[in-house]
Amino acid sequence: MKQDLVKQLLEGTLTHEEVIAQIDYSQIESPAEAVSMRPPPDTGTATYTGEWTAAQAKHLLQRTTFGATREMIQQSVANGMAWTVDKLLEALPAPSPPLAYSELDVSVSIGETWVDAPVVRGNNQQYNARRRSMRAWHTGRLLSGEFNLREKMTLFWHNHFAVEDLVVIDARYQYTYLKTLRDNCFGNFRELCKLITIDPMMLRYLNGRSNQAGSPNENYARELLELFSIGKGPQVGEGDYTHYTEDDVRELARVLTGWRDLGYLTENENLEVGSAFRRNLHDQEPKTLSHRFDFVTIENMNELEYAHAIDIIFGKKECARFICRKLYRWFVYYEITDVEEMQVIEPLADALVAADYEIEAVLRILLQSEHFYDPLNCGCMIKSPIDFVNNLLTQLSVPISGTVVQEYNTWFRIYQFTSTIQQQLFQPPNVAGWSAYYQAPGYYRLWTNGVTLPMRIQYTDLMTLVGFRVMGLNIQIDFLDHISAYDNPTDPNDLIREAISLHCPKEFTEEQETFLKSALLPGLPDFEWTVEYGEYLGNPSDEGLRNAVHTKLRLFFRTLMLHPEYHLS
Amino acid sequence: MKRRDFLRVSGLSTPVLLNGLSLSTLAKSRLFSTIDGDSDRILVLIQLTGGNDGLNTIIPMDMYDRLQAVRTDIMVPENSVINIDQDLAMHGSMESMHELYTQQQLKIVQGVAYPNQNRSHFRSTDIWTSGSPATEVWIDGWLGRYFQNRHPEFPTGYPNADCPDPFAITVGSLVSATCQGITGNFSMAISDVDSLNPISEGATGSLPDTPYGDELMFLREAIRQTNAYAEQITNAADAGTTSVSYNEDNPLAQSLKTVAQLISGGLQTRVYVVSLGGFDTHAGQVNENDSNAGMHADLLQTVSEAVFSFQTDIQNQGLQDRVLGMTFSEFGRQIAQNDSFGTDHGTAAPLFLFGNCVDPAILGHNAEIPELVDPQDGVAMQYDFRDIYGSVLVDWFDVEEAEVREILHPEFIKLPLLDQNCLMTTSTSDPTAVDQLVDMVIRPQPVRGTAYIDLELRESAEVDLRIYDSVGKELATLISGRVDAGLSTYSHDCHRFPAGNYYCRLRVGRRHMTQLMLVI
Repeated sequence: MKQDLVKQLLEGTLTHEEVIAQIDYSQIESPAEAVSMRPPPDTGTATYTGEWTAAQAKHLLQRTTFGATREMIQQSVANGMAWTVDKLLEALPAPSPPLAYSELDVSVSIGETWVDAPVVRGNNQQYNARRRSMRAWHTGRLLSGEFNLREKMTLFWHNHFAVEDLVVIDARYQYTYLKTLRDNCFGNFRELCKLITIDPMMLRYLNGRSNQAGSPNENYARELLELFSIGKGPQVGEGDYTHYTEDDVRELARVLTGWRDLGYLTENENLEVGSAFRRNLHDQEPKTLSHRFDFVTIENMNELEYAHAIDIIFGKKECARFICRKLYRWFVYYEITDVEEMQVIEPLADALVAADYEIEAVLRILLQSEHFYDPLNCGCMIKSPIDFVNNLLTQLSVPISGTVVQEYNTWFRIYQFTSTIQQQLFQPPNVAGWSAYYQAPGYYRLWTNGVTLPMRIQYTDLMTLVGFRVMGLNIQIDFLDHISAYDNPTDPNDLIREAISLHCPKEFTEEQETFLKSALLPGLPDFEWTVEYGEYLGNPSDEGLRNAVHTKLRLFFRTLMLHPEYHLS
Repeated sequence: MKRRDFLRVSGLSTPVLLNGLSLSTLAKSRLFSTIDGDSDRILVLIQLTGGNDGLNTIIPMDMYDRLQAVRTDIMVPENSVINIDQDLAMHGSMESMHELYTQQQLKIVQGVAYPNQNRSHFRSTDIWTSGSPATEVWIDGWLGRYFQNRHPEFPTGYPNADCPDPFAITVGSLVSATCQGITGNFSMAISDVDSLNPISEGATGSLPDTPYGDELMFLREAIRQTNAYAEQITNAADAGTTSVSYNEDNPLAQSLKTVAQLISGGLQTRVYVVSLGGFDTHAGQVNENDSNAGMHADLLQTVSEAVFSFQTDIQNQGLQDRVLGMTFSEFGRQIAQNDSFGTDHGTAAPLFLFGNCVDPAILGHNAEIPELVDPQDGVAMQYDFRDIYGSVLVDWFDVEEAEVREILHPEFIKLPLLDQNCLMTTSTSDPTAVDQLVDMVIRPQPVRGTAYIDLELRESAEVDLRIYDSVGKELATLISGRVDAGLSTYSHDCHRFPAGNYYCRLRVGRRHMTQLMLVI
């Protein structure tokens, strides 16, 4: 990548495809390394009762949104942990659907939604225009700045029930799938699993639609067990993965026969995207699961059979443990030792079973637990590409506000950038989701390497120093506006400390603060900042004074974001 | 071993310990004299991600009718294949690779897998990259262990004057699991050799012994190393050249072009890993109206063309005696097709080595297709992939067999993969074909109840005889030890075996053979 590649990508002179042509996303590999011998945190799921300051509020908000702003942190500190968690879990009205932003979608006008509109069969440009709109809109959702957990949980489920939009290209399928995830994001895990099992996008993605009596396709049944519900345990015998066996894969494939998706790339405006059960394609014979499911026999139940089988799978507590571990790696840290297994995962799994698999119940416990606020669990998450990119835009309140065409184009460019640094919405590397959430021993460290680290830094350099421009819309940071809300921005030491505390997980050393001050005030005494900033405050319309101070702030924030600490949350 | 038992790279002056053993002691106990062996030899690994359909790659023409019976929709037409010899052929889209074969620069190893095949992509990829047995989880990679034995404290203190270049490079955005060591990953990911601008490390502070401190240390180390190696790579890329035009639309060719350029520029990196995805051909493996074309044909052509361009480039530049290439994929696919014009996860498949130093003889016999194929049947294993890895380590990187037994598997058997004349070392391979050493007859065929296996050995030898089922599971060991010359008969009670296809895998000395045993 050339020095200005990120700028070219964001401004649209280079396409994402041109960039990723050189990057191979197909491998799942692990980077360095290993861990210290210190004991793990010994905290559990008891409710946290310690102090509630900006540090705890920031920790909670950074892990549950895509950027904790100063205002959100202050609200949380003022109202407490319980209030904050309630607010994060509040049900919000559904967002308005994605809109067409290009004339290539010949069926609807720019600014109208396409989610109910048919396509013109064979018009690839239209298909692509809708897929771009879908991706842009999703990126816009992640940048909404909502004081709410739903987008991060929707992304959690997207990672859990992973699909790829290059395999199922109809954007209406993608929208339907994502809407199901968002509508149920704090809901019931078992019921969501049922919805996804017959979701039209999933029926296509994992070949459920070609699974029929007499010629089963095992693809979905295998992933349902291995990745979506109960998880694969150690192999302890021939085809026996502790929690299920190869026989169960085979029998479940038969259970799932007969489902078809409807409306793929249809021109028929009366045909809604959906799925249907075809009795003649369903295997009517009884199915028998293995000893892992107590040899239960499933008699023919036709269209109700898949839900019955999922109820049987979820009858095993292992499903609760499996999803609680995934939530743990999503919200807390990647390493789960025997201690965390006993003190956190097991109590959470008990709570989930007691709550009949209502996810909200465990989110409430986890996000208010002693363990979540254990200092050992703070600041140790390497930001995902989406967190990294969105944190900057959200925490610095960068406005993306213009016409539909401008906004969608901007979101699409941001989507392309997060894709380039390896987190592409609707294109996880494979059905297991992003490897940072499951691949030992690297986990979160897989996000950063010799390719992505330089690109991340080009991005922070570009954003702090100049910004970028999309179809006449400037995407820029106003640092003067940002620091104006600080407690004491006229004192350079207070300014630096507040910026660190907002943008990095922990305090810096005195040495590091001194280094940062040299970016703000190269070779000058402290009072010069107070004087120059004071002059600007006295004459805010003086362009010269404004630029002088702003330039210093740009260099200061650029230097702050060069620190590896900025990659942590 | 649990991860918590591992040392971490701390940069501290205290000695690092591995289960109580000082690493420097550990290192001394190994053969340090061969640290870098013949240090200019290079291995290029090509990972074919998704599970390549070996039966549509190297086609056993003597089994064509049986294959066609269970692959009605996807079998390539008999007249479109490229014949290798009278009963073996390559897919018609692999012309360039066939050209390499005729130039004696391609080696085909048939039936490569491991006992007790796992059909999960993730797990099987882990097994292939770590070189572990199917029953054990090893978190380091097979090349990572090789490097770690020689550089126990890596990455602390690297790069340095003796080792200025990355040990391994992956072209792409991810480091390779094959190069995972205990203390770090020995590979560096690069996507574009022009992209390596130094990154500022910012000001550093002391690190607490907390997860926060661990992750921060990782990031600092990643930045520091990226910078240190970047300069070396940039210099090599500037000094290097390529002599052929690599197809711009072929992603694998473009990756190999980068590799060729860096080798040409004198980078001392020992291992390069490139990859191509898309081999998980559950659906649409071939076009519905033309089984000769489709996703898999395109992939094979991509590989074939890329490898040919690379090998030609390496030849043109006079580097051919220093570079060896090898493909791998997590598994082959099932013998029978599915109903989506595709194939599902299977077991063994052929593996390719290429370069001027390969022994061009095809290793192994044609995949045997039973008369009746069960839906989940895979191709029988003939060669354990760890024997291939180990043979490459021994012949190419001059690793002692004792070390291979330690880092790969204790039952390692060296295979004749490389041309010993090219290596200019004493030949250790035994040129005798296995069927000149032994006759094996399984009777009755098909087996009802008890199977009798007659072995007639020409001379006394170490023999190992095991039975596997058709998905690769090991069922029984009949012989393991020395057997005298002459005829001997072994029996196995197969009453409890479900009817189906089974395989007897026989080892005599360093030679293997696999035979079908039908049980009814």
